[in-house]
Amino acid sequence: MEKSFDLQMNEFAAKALDAAQAAGISPAEATVALSESFSVRVRAQKLEDYKVSDRIQLTLRGRWQGRIGTASTQAMDEESLALLIQGVKESAELIENDEQDDILPPDAQYGAVCNYSDVIDTISAEDKIALAMCIDERLCAADARISPDATVVSTASEVFSIKNTLGLDLSHSSNLIYAYASCLAREGEAAATGFKLLWGYALEDVSPFDVADGCVKDAVEKLGAGRLQSGARCVVIRSNAMADLLSTFSGVFSADNAQKGLSLLAGKEGTAIASPAVTLTDDPLMPWGMGSCPFDREGAATMTKNVIDGGVLHTLLHNRRTAAKAGVATTGNAAGAGRVAPSNLYIQPGQATLQDLLAHMGDGLLLTEVSGLHAGANPISGDFSLLARGFEVVDGEIQRAVEQFTVAGNFFALLQDIEAVGSDLLFEGSPIGSPSVAVKKLNIAGE
Amino acid sequence: MLSSALCSRVLARALRGGGTFAEIFYEDTRAFGMTLRSGKIENAAVSRPRGAGIRIYDGLRSIYVYTCDVTQQGLLRAADRAAAAVTDTKGTGRDVILHEKTFENIHPVKTPVLSVDAQRRADVLRAADGAARTVSPRITQVTCGLLAREQHVLIANSEGLYTGDTRTYTRLTCSAIASDGAENQTGTDSPGALMGFELFESRIDPEKSGRKAAKTAVTMLDAPYVQAGEMPVVIAGGFGGVIFHEACGHSLEATSVEPGMSEFAGKLGKQIAAPCVTAIDDGTMPGEWGSENIDDEGTPTTRLVLIENGVLKNYMIDRLNGLKMGMAPTGSGRRESYAYAPTSRMRNTFIAAGQDDEDEMIRTMGDGLYAAQMGGGSVNPATGEFNFAVQEGYLVRDGRITTPVRGASLIGRGSEILMRIDRVGKEMTMGQGMCGSLSGSVPTNVGQPTIRVSRLTVGGK
Repeated sequence: MEKSFDLQMNEFAAKALDAAQAAGISPAEATVALSESFSVRVRAQKLEDYKVSDRIQLTLRGRWQGRIGTASTQAMDEESLALLIQGVKESAELIENDEQDDILPPDAQYGAVCNYSDVIDTISAEDKIALAMCIDERLCAADARISPDATVVSTASEVFSIKNTLGLDLSHSSNLIYAYASCLAREGEAAATGFKLLWGYALEDVSPFDVADGCVKDAVEKLGAGRLQSGARCVVIRSNAMADLLSTFSGVFSADNAQKGLSLLAGKEGTAIASPAVTLTDDPLMPWGMGSCPFDREGAATMTKNVIDGGVLHTLLHNRRTAAKAGVATTGNAAGAGRVAPSNLYIQPGQATLQDLLAHMGDGLLLTEVSGLHAGANPISGDFSLLARGFEVVDGEIQRAVEQFTVAGNFFALLQDIEAVGSDLLFEGSPIGSPSVAVKKLNIAGE
Repeated sequence: MLSSALCSRVLARALRGGGTFAEIFYEDTRAFGMTLRSGKIENAAVSRPRGAGIRIYDGLRSIYVYTCDVTQQGLLRAADRAAAAVTDTKGTGRDVILHEKTFENIHPVKTPVLSVDAQRRADVLRAADGAARTVSPRITQVTCGLLAREQHVLIANSEGLYTGDTRTYTRLTCSAIASDGAENQTGTDSPGALMGFELFESRIDPEKSGRKAAKTAVTMLDAPYVQAGEMPVVIAGGFGGVIFHEACGHSLEATSVEPGMSEFAGKLGKQIAAPCVTAIDDGTMPGEWGSENIDDEGTPTTRLVLIENGVLKNYMIDRLNGLKMGMAPTGSGRRESYAYAPTSRMRNTFIAAGQDDEDEMIRTMGDGLYAAQMGGGSVNPATGEFNFAVQEGYLVRDGRITTPVRGASLIGRGSEILMRIDRVGKEMTMGQGMCGSLSGSVPTNVGQPTIRVSRLTVGGK
């Protein structure tokens, strides 16, 4: 039988480690990431897109003349071997920074976490197409105002391995299935798009009815949206929109950013940076979490911790280098290439339902969507000014849909202004999640 | 590179069970990235992305399989995986005969970045960093990056095409932070081109870039928040062209037009913009960031008039959407890499130079906003709702530019803003960006002269 591609790559990685040692690069570390995916897209009962992939990447790091260099490749040949060795040396010679991510032996102990489901491997291509067709059929049948745009069903898996010349040898596999649908609702001159995504580890997690009905509901309830008067308003930010904001600003919790003057949270450990209602947790050991892994990208054991505890900044996220500089222990958040990143990051849910939050607010705005986050939000200043959608709320009840306004504020002020946290924690196709939150005031620009 | 014999074998294998068209896109890329931060080179790494994507048209359905395993065995396996999904079994077992096709290289490269001594590469970043830091003592951090990519592509298809190209991209990124201790503001400048290291001799002055980023950051540190509301807005040239890119460009891509998910679907020949607006998407401009010789389907690139005097003339069309729409492809089939099937994308997209005087536009606008530098933005093509950020804005009071203001964003609908453009200046300039869509992130230029929009919603505090 032919050798599998990942096996070939692991052998090539071992060869690269040997070549590095022989070239005087020591210690050396090889990481191999293998990802495979399958995806189908359906529209109006036609299969439009069918996509299958496998991708592999080898990254070699090693110490050369006192500094650590990096190079990577997707090709396994002699040319790549030379490129890796030469690349690591050139990189090490160029780098001037004395504080670098080191290559170290394994930790004494690693936690255990599972986010790989054997069941996903048994779902056939036909079953995934049938699921997409079923979602699309329900979209087509839903309502005369609805035109389906796309229904996508996809499975993906990843194997991440890391091995070094100091005895580290770790590997973790994860996979998932997701399904989403988007549609357009039209009524007279009004048009609105709807979207719904579900994900999980078995077919039951991606119920076609829930995807289709959620998508239709999302579009239809936006139809006939009006404008809002400019001014400051009380706002409940719905879970998905709050998760988008948290995700955009998650870099402020990186100790790497803080140490480089790129986060305003530098030196704020132990102080209140958020309302007492806010506890923010990073949990790499969350069972079936999308971002779960028992070790980080430098092979350090990962651990569950509160970043914000009852409003107080408990810790920033560290890798070994930033931790050493700060005189603390790593939090196991090395993300590769010197960066630090969260695993599964979320605001701890409270007791109130979304309805309770609206009732408590009385009059104000339910913010359901923010767009253009890559441009309209600045993680360094914390400022944001974003195109948004939502519903006007009067006396605790949704009154009407509203659109074409911006919501502006500052993320750090927003954290302080959170008055209540909902119970509806949501991870919408991302390892960063949030429940809905009620905030004092945000600035609205509309008419 | 893959031999013609291997490509024809793989293509024939892909079509053995039917399908109307098969294509191989093979890429072997050398990429180099380097970052300087806190005055020191912090990262430098070379990488070699390599892989191939095999596409089959099964009727009007796209089947796409990609892999990093580009051995004969790996490619045949990928062809088999693609063939297994074919349902239209007509025309099975065809032979594929390939003819090599060459194109004139309209973007010759003098000095590939990787051939330049490593320290000379680092000097570009040091120059930008040093210049940024001299702007003000309140500049607390400068991050500069050099990105270089040499993408060797080979494209072969069952219609007999066997061709290739090398695209050499070089880009400098500068980002500066100004701080007064309590607040941070940022400024950026990120020029790039389809050129090699000669870029820094002929087109881009790293010091100027560093200074520009730093000046924006310092200016914004002193700026109060903009007062939100509806007002006239003058948008400066260069990266200001992002407004057309978002508000209109994406909605003219076949990706959104073909399924009817665009507010401009069915509007060819109709007045969709004010008569002073002519807009072009041009892949042929020598050495420009969004230029190409051939697109990622092997179609020669073109200069395409999108809007002429306000009338919609053309959509940007890739091969498959062309088939679905019954229209010819426009050399607009692009993809980030072999990991994406191509689709219709913008190249260098701009509003062409007009007749209007730039001073007059401001003098006669009354109270409003002058957007000197834009940030990025996004659009929902189905509804035309767009948004983008103003990186450096100024209040206009009674026809005069007064104080800088921060936190402004511009929102609206594409169809509305195009009709509300009432002035188009005389000198078109461009800025560089990475544009994200279905086929990944591709280099695009945005551009325009200074323009005026009679009324826009400005978001802020």
